[in-house]
Amino acid sequence: MAFTFPSVEWVEEYKKQINLSEGYKKAGATWTAGAVALVTSAKPEIGLNEDVGIWLDLHQGVCREAKVVTAEEAQKAPFCITGDYARWKQVVKKELEPVKGMMQGKLKLKGDLPTIVRYVKASQELVECSTRIDTKFLDE
Amino acid sequence: MGCVPVFEERSCLVGGYAGKVLEVDLGTGKIEALPVKEEYKIKFLGGSGLAAQIFFDLFDTNVDPLSYENPLIIMTGPVVGTQFPGTSRFAVCGKSPLTGIWGEGTCGGNFGPELKFAGIDGIVFKGASSTPVYLVIEDDRIEIRDAKDLWGMDNYEVTDFLKERYGKERKPKVLSIGPAGENLVRFASICNDKGDFIGRTGMGALMGSKKLKALVVKGTKKVEVSYPEEYAALRKLLVAKSRDAVVAQSFRSMGTDTGMDLGMMTGDVPIKNWSIGEEFQLSANLGGPSLTEKYLTRNHACSFCPVACKRMVKVDDGAFKTEEGPGPEYETCAAFGTLIMNDDLAGVIKANEWCNRYGLDTISSGAAVAFAMEAYEKGLVTKKETDGLDLTWGNIQGAIELLHKIAKREGIGAILSDGTREAAKRLGKGSEEFSVEVKGLEAPMHDPRGFHGMGLAYMTSIRGACHLMHLCLGVEQGITAYPEAGFQENYVGQSSEGKAEMVKLCEDLGVPCNSLVICEFVAWTLSANDLGEMVRVTTGFDFSLKELLSCGERTWLLKRGLGNMMGVTREDDRLPERILTPLKEGTAAGSIPDVEKLLQEYYEIRGLDKEGRPRKEALLKAGLGDLAKRLHG
Repeated sequence: MAFTFPSVEWVEEYKKQINLSEGYKKAGATWTAGAVALVTSAKPEIGLNEDVGIWLDLHQGVCREAKVVTAEEAQKAPFCITGDYARWKQVVKKELEPVKGMMQGKLKLKGDLPTIVRYVKASQELVECSTRIDTKFLDE
Repeated sequence: MGCVPVFEERSCLVGGYAGKVLEVDLGTGKIEALPVKEEYKIKFLGGSGLAAQIFFDLFDTNVDPLSYENPLIIMTGPVVGTQFPGTSRFAVCGKSPLTGIWGEGTCGGNFGPELKFAGIDGIVFKGASSTPVYLVIEDDRIEIRDAKDLWGMDNYEVTDFLKERYGKERKPKVLSIGPAGENLVRFASICNDKGDFIGRTGMGALMGSKKLKALVVKGTKKVEVSYPEEYAALRKLLVAKSRDAVVAQSFRSMGTDTGMDLGMMTGDVPIKNWSIGEEFQLSANLGGPSLTEKYLTRNHACSFCPVACKRMVKVDDGAFKTEEGPGPEYETCAAFGTLIMNDDLAGVIKANEWCNRYGLDTISSGAAVAFAMEAYEKGLVTKKETDGLDLTWGNIQGAIELLHKIAKREGIGAILSDGTREAAKRLGKGSEEFSVEVKGLEAPMHDPRGFHGMGLAYMTSIRGACHLMHLCLGVEQGITAYPEAGFQENYVGQSSEGKAEMVKLCEDLGVPCNSLVICEFVAWTLSANDLGEMVRVTTGFDFSLKELLSCGERTWLLKRGLGNMMGVTREDDRLPERILTPLKEGTAAGSIPDVEKLLQEYYEIRGLDKEGRPRKEALLKAGLGDLAKRLHG
C-alpha cells in the first residue's frame, strides 16, 4: 500500500520503519538530544497549502512518537530541518543525502550542528528507513 | 650585513598589487627589485601561478632541489591584503626536495597581508648563505641578518624570540623553519606564527638548504583597489556569504575536523594505512565534536576571515599534557589517528605540536609513521632497526618518538625523512605496495575509493597526491557546487562517469585560487562568479568567470610543462597499488576508480599527448608559446 508524503499515515509508517531498523537502533543508541522536526514548505500547486511538520520524538535508538504538526510547533523541536517539497522528495528517494543538502543550503537546519555531525550515521539510517516506505508523491 | 634603502616607487597601473617583487641573493647578500612583466599579472594573477612563470623564465628545471641554484619563491596575490574573506594567504614555491618536480604550498595566517603592507608582492630567494641568516623587512628597510643564535630553535621558540626582538611597538609577522627544515627533512614545512604552515612538498627543506631561518615582516602601507566603492559593497556581501554558509558554520563550530564524522560515513577517511574501509569508533573519538568538547579553548582565524576554522587547544593532564596552542586540522587528526589506528585525541594533539615545533608536514609525517607501522607489523623492520621503538598500530607514543627521530634524521628516522617513496626503495621487500604516494607526495586523508574524481585529481595534480590545488574535495562531496561554471550539483562519489570533465573544471577554477591567493574553504562558500568579481574590482582587469577559467587552464598547463621538464611523464599519472586494492568493508567496499577511463578522457579534454605533455596547439591557444618551444621545439 502506498502512503502519501506527507500525511498522518506516512508518518505512522515512518515510525514503524524506524523502530524496525536495527541500523538506527545501533547508530542512535546514545541519542538523548530530543526531538527532530522535518518541515516541508507549502506548495499550493500540488495541494500542499501550508507548511507541514513531521515531529519525531527520538530517544536512544527508538522513535517514541511520530506525528504531523504545524510549522510553528515544529520550530519548538531542538532540531528542525526545513526544505521544499522537491528536496524532501529527493531525500526520500535517496537522491540527496541530507547532510550534503544542508551544506549546500538546500535544507535549512535549526539546531546544534555538532550534534548532527556526531550522529551523521544515525541520520543516514533515518533516511534508509524512509526509503523503505512505499511512497506516493503529491506531484506524481 | 647589508641594509637596503627604499626601492623605486610603485610602478603598477592596476589595483591589488604592491608593485614590487624582491630578488634576494643569499649567496652575495645583494637585494634588488626583480622586474616582472605587466602582462604576467593578467596572465597568471600572482601566487603560485606567477611564481611558476618566474621560475620558467629565470631558472633551470634540472637543478638538484637542495642545490644553490634552486630558488625559493614566496608570492602573494592581488587580493591578498584586501579585506575580502579568505585572502590572507600566500604561496611558497620551488623545485620540491620531496618529489623532485614542481613544488608549491599555500598558507593562511597573517604573513601574506603583512608582506603586502610592506609594499612587497613577493620575494625570490636565490643562492644560499654559508651561515644561518634571517631577513627583516620593516616597510622599505630590508636587511639580511645573522641567525646563528636562532639556528636550532624550534618554530615556537624562534617565533616568540623574533616577535619579542622586533615587537616593541607592534608585533611583526614571522615565517620560520624548525629543526626539520634545518636538517633537510624532505617533507619539512614552513611556519607562520606557530599556527599556519606551508606543509606540502618540503618547502621547509628548501628554505633550510639556503640557511634561511626566518623572515620577519612589518608593514604600514595599504593595498589599493581599482574600484573602491564596488569593492566595499562586494566585500560586505562576500563576508556575509562566507560567514553564514553552513560549511562555514560547521568549520567555525568544529574546525575542519568536522570532516571526520562525515567522511567515515561516505568512505573518505583512510584507516590503517589505507587498508580498512570503516571504523566508526575511531571517528567518534577523533572527530570535530570530540575535539571541540574535550580540548578546544578558543577559535582562531586567519586575517580578515569570517570562517575562523582554526582551533586553539589544550590538554590539561595525562601523558600528552599540552599547553594551549594551535590544534590539529582534520588532515592531522586522520594522519595521526585513523591512519595509524590511534583513537587518543590527546596524543594527536601532542603529535601535532611536535610537528609544528619541528616544522614537519603532518600529512607526510603521519603517512611515514603508518608506513613504518605496517613494515613493523610485517616484520620488515624490527626493534633492532627502530632502536627499541614499539611501532605497533595505535601506539601514538611510539609515533611521537618516531617523529623525534625523523626530525633529527636519527636511525630509522633518517630513512623515513626522505619520504615514503624513498624509504620503500631503501627498505624493499615489497614495501612499495604500502607506500601510498603519487609522484612522491604522500596522499592526503581522502580516499579515492569513496570518491573517484579525487583519484583522478591525485593522478593529475601538479605537485603529486594533493587535495587542495583544485576544488574537487568540495565539489565531488557536495559540500559546494558551482553550477554557473558548468558543474553538476550532485556527483556520485563511487563513479568514474563524468569525472574527467569535473576534475579539469575543478582544476581550472581551483588553480586561480592559488594565484589570487584565496583559501579553498572560503571559496567553497562563494560562487565562481564571486571569484571573478573579486579580481575585477581589485585589479581593474575586465575579469569574468570565463577569463578566470582561462587563467586557470593557462596556469595549469604552465605548471604541467614545468613538471614535464623536471621529468614528469604519463607513467607518473598513476594511483598507488594500495588505493587500487578494493576495500572489504564500509561505504566504499569493492569500489575503485576506473583509472584507464579517467586518464583517457582527461588527457583528451586537457589536451595532453601520449607522453603526458600538453600538446603544442593547447599551449599556443593558452598563450604559452615559449613553453611550447621548450617542450616541442
